[in-house]
Amino acid sequence: MNAADPVVQIDGLVKHYGKVEAVRGIDLRVARGEVFGFLGPNGSGKSTTIRCLLGLLRPTAGRIGAFGLDSTRDGVALRRRLTYVPGELRLPDRLSGMEFVASIGRLRGGFDPARRDQLAERLRLDLHRHLRDLSSGNRRKVALLLAFLFDADLLVLDEPTIGLDPLMQREFLALVREARAAGATVFLSSHSLSEVQRAADRVAILRAGKLVAQGTVAELRGRARQRIEVWFEDDPPEAELKALPDLVDPVVDDHRFTATLSGSIQPLIALLASHRVGSMLVEEPDLEEAFLDLYDGGPA
Amino acid sequence: MNARIIELVGGPLRAMRRATFWWCLGLAALVTATISIWPAFKGSSGLSQAIDQLPAGVVQAFGLADFGTPAGFLRANLYDFFVPLLIVIAAVVLANGQTASEEASGRLELYLAQPIDRRAVLLGRAIAALVALAVISVVLLIVQLGADAAVGLGIDTGYLVSTIALCALLGALHGSLAVAIAGVRARPSLVLGVGIGVGVAGCVVASLFPLSDVLAPWRHISPWDWAFGGNPLEQATDLWRYGALAVPTVILTAVGVFAVARRDISGA
Repeated sequence: MNAADPVVQIDGLVKHYGKVEAVRGIDLRVARGEVFGFLGPNGSGKSTTIRCLLGLLRPTAGRIGAFGLDSTRDGVALRRRLTYVPGELRLPDRLSGMEFVASIGRLRGGFDPARRDQLAERLRLDLHRHLRDLSSGNRRKVALLLAFLFDADLLVLDEPTIGLDPLMQREFLALVREARAAGATVFLSSHSLSEVQRAADRVAILRAGKLVAQGTVAELRGRARQRIEVWFEDDPPEAELKALPDLVDPVVDDHRFTATLSGSIQPLIALLASHRVGSMLVEEPDLEEAFLDLYDGGPA
Repeated sequence: MNARIIELVGGPLRAMRRATFWWCLGLAALVTATISIWPAFKGSSGLSQAIDQLPAGVVQAFGLADFGTPAGFLRANLYDFFVPLLIVIAAVVLANGQTASEEASGRLELYLAQPIDRRAVLLGRAIAALVALAVISVVLLIVQLGADAAVGLGIDTGYLVSTIALCALLGALHGSLAVAIAGVRARPSLVLGVGIGVGVAGCVVASLFPLSDVLAPWRHISPWDWAFGGNPLEQATDLWRYGALAVPTVILTAVGVFAVARRDISGA
């Protein structure tokens, strides 16, 4: 496998549960060393795709795998190179955190106890307590500790920060950056847009089992609508403004012009350059807007 | 043996520690309480006479023949129904608890996300349930031998070992049925229902079919007949009876292990 080859490769993935079409044809590539955000509302097929990647589910059609390995055929070899945080986290209640980590460690062929202790300290996690006595946030930390404990080439994280406080979410993002710096690829599934926006290089948005958008965070933000407000020192050039492409709901009110921009800002800037502009406000688009636009308005 | 293989069996075994302990304690209490009343029966001709008054079918169905003898007493009170049935239930419950129940609850997901073949995970859990069953059976044997010595039942030790080994194998057979079903589909209610249901049905067939001339030949379809049809408390057991229980146990376990690789893993 070349360094340029994608780490995760999904071709025409389809997964049905009886009559329910959970995933309806996904094509995706995740490059080596990138943090890939996998966004979508609940029930959009994110976890199903991930469980197919892990070999827990068998695709109805298409192929899914990583490192050139097929999830169904080469599941053991593939899982040797990845770690995983499940979205729906269920841990063996009877064990302490320490026992559970040791148990998984034995199945994976060992781990560095110093690294375990360091991670527990960073995550402020008491591994000596029974898992049944831990809060949902602390149970999530146990799964995160396991994901970062082993040397993995790919981290598959399904809704990894549910239940974590903001401080721990920040620590999680730091761990993700460290993993990437160490050469790992991160597949980060989430419906938390701000989390993906902060962590991911590229993003795919899933809706009702289909990808509706894919690109860098910057590209996606470029597709998001931005609210524009311009105060002119003279009368606004109303006709020219309303003729600009990609402007939605342009309104001229005395010297004030407002609109929503759904494309490039360049034509507007070019027009404003030939007029006396007192001030201008362009609201920062965030991924949430892009996400909601795609989810609410895009074709399924 | 490497740590991974040990963990595949040792992990589930640790999880079953408490359940195994309670099954041991329960069976030990049943055996001790039952045997403790033997001195009161010993030499009591009244009870034997009362049983002789019952219809032959009832005596046969409830295993009351020779109730006044040590072997008859043990058969009627422990080894015709109660002990084998409890061991069958223990085997099915333990096997289900480590397979279908764990998977359906989602607790198996993080284990199956490790670099291990899911067939090995299921096989490890089946073996662990078998080991737990063996521990329960050995404790039962020790308690039985101790109680036997304490009240002077005088049953041949070899016959007792055979009887309890047959109980254990009958349990293993039903436990492996649970594993087979769990391998095909991770539905705990289905595993428990079919596993225990087949156990009870087998018991009914072995007990009641002999009462009917038409049905009597069909009693041999019951694993209970394979196990206890040779009266192991009073006669040496034919080797084929062990094989008749052990071979399907291996086959059913293999079916479960084969099937689990060919289906989706249930999520939480």
